[in-house]
Amino acid sequence: MTRWPSCLLIPADNMEQSNERYARHYTLAGFGQAGQEKLLNARVLVIGAGGLGCPVLQYLAAAGVGTIGIADHDRVALSNLQRQILFTTGDVGSLKAVKAAESLRKLNPEISIETHTDEVAAKNAWELIERYDIVADCTDNFASRYLISDACFLLRKPLVFGAVFQYEGQVAVFDIGNHDEDRISYRDLFPESPSPDEVLDCNEAGVLGVLPGMIGTLQANEVIKLITDIGEVLRGRLFTFNMLTYENMVMDLTMRSDTLNLMPEDRGHFEKTDYRWLCGLPSSDIEEIGTDDFLEAITQPDILAVDVRERDELPEAGFPHIRIPLSQLKTETSGIDHLKGRKIILFCQSGKRSLNAAELLTAAYGNAIKISHLKGGITALQNKKHEKRV
Amino acid sequence: MEIKIIAFGRIAEITGKELMLTASDTDTLKQQLAGKFPQLSDMKYAVAVNKKMTEGNTELNTNDTVALMPPYSGG
Repeated sequence: MTRWPSCLLIPADNMEQSNERYARHYTLAGFGQAGQEKLLNARVLVIGAGGLGCPVLQYLAAAGVGTIGIADHDRVALSNLQRQILFTTGDVGSLKAVKAAESLRKLNPEISIETHTDEVAAKNAWELIERYDIVADCTDNFASRYLISDACFLLRKPLVFGAVFQYEGQVAVFDIGNHDEDRISYRDLFPESPSPDEVLDCNEAGVLGVLPGMIGTLQANEVIKLITDIGEVLRGRLFTFNMLTYENMVMDLTMRSDTLNLMPEDRGHFEKTDYRWLCGLPSSDIEEIGTDDFLEAITQPDILAVDVRERDELPEAGFPHIRIPLSQLKTETSGIDHLKGRKIILFCQSGKRSLNAAELLTAAYGNAIKISHLKGGITALQNKKHEKRV
Repeated sequence: MEIKIIAFGRIAEITGKELMLTASDTDTLKQQLAGKFPQLSDMKYAVAVNKKMTEGNTELNTNDTVALMPPYSGG
């Protein structure tokens, strides 16, 4: 009997497993082994491993996309689990990219999964995106969406976009290839970011878990179609979908004349762009307090915790605090004159409104009041409690 | 010219999902909408005429359908 060196046996074994794993692809008319090979050779970066990212990652890994990058700096929260289906209750508090990678490796150990746990920002996005063929935007905020769109445009990387609001979703493919007619970007749809108050995110507006599941699945479908060159990709088109009524529409996008003026012209300019500021968010000079420091700080007599959520919002904070809703601060920032000389820590549900309030009050009072805010809000405190229990 | 308007997302919460208005071009239509729904004047949204996204003022004809599409950020 001939004994083959083991290194030669492994690929043969793998091939057999691969055959069985992808058997339904091989027999699919118009897809076959050629389609599978294209998937195995593809490198896809999924930015955001949340409601949209989970189904995108799951289907791409199952389908056998050869290299998948997962970029997310966030940690799993208990309130994520109603829609972020790659995570379990035991994952609460862990990095999403790491847990998602573990889950995908179990699903398909034959592909390569790369994790990126630094926040995707102007300073690192170029280098990251450059290494992949296709990007799926599964983020949950405009600063990231414009940053990713601009980077993909400049790097000429196809971008598969998905977004949700309450019961509705949007999907589009910005192919941004070598043909000028394909160079439609997210900015051709919405040239500039809306102000932070104009659009609510999932934390504020709520979302039914299956909606990002449906929209993410459509994104995965578009990625697979792009790679294998089948069907009609939503290239330069926007698909909208209402999950309550099944009403949908496909709109044709056109290149706007002002788009290029709104975008950084090259890598140097891109890396210097402050996307948070462009999207109306503070440039993050406000001091952020983590949950441990917060719990200790509020026991000090000179520190006052201020809830900036609206009057009837639950859950009630289980520690001494006063409530001044953000809506009230917006109309009369002078309303907290009596707090001059004090140290206050603002908090809300997710940390977004407290940051907004901190920005408003810092603009109004400067250093007269020492202002910081609780990072991650009440949700972070609840997760912390939960972590201790499990 | 009677124009059918279909609104999405947060805009639909303000205007209702569908409405009819009379306007000869998209600028007039947007002015009318802003008059009727003051909250819209500060909001950013894309305007599609017969499922084609527009840039700048676009002429409207009877039976045209205009879609008002705000950006979504959730994910």
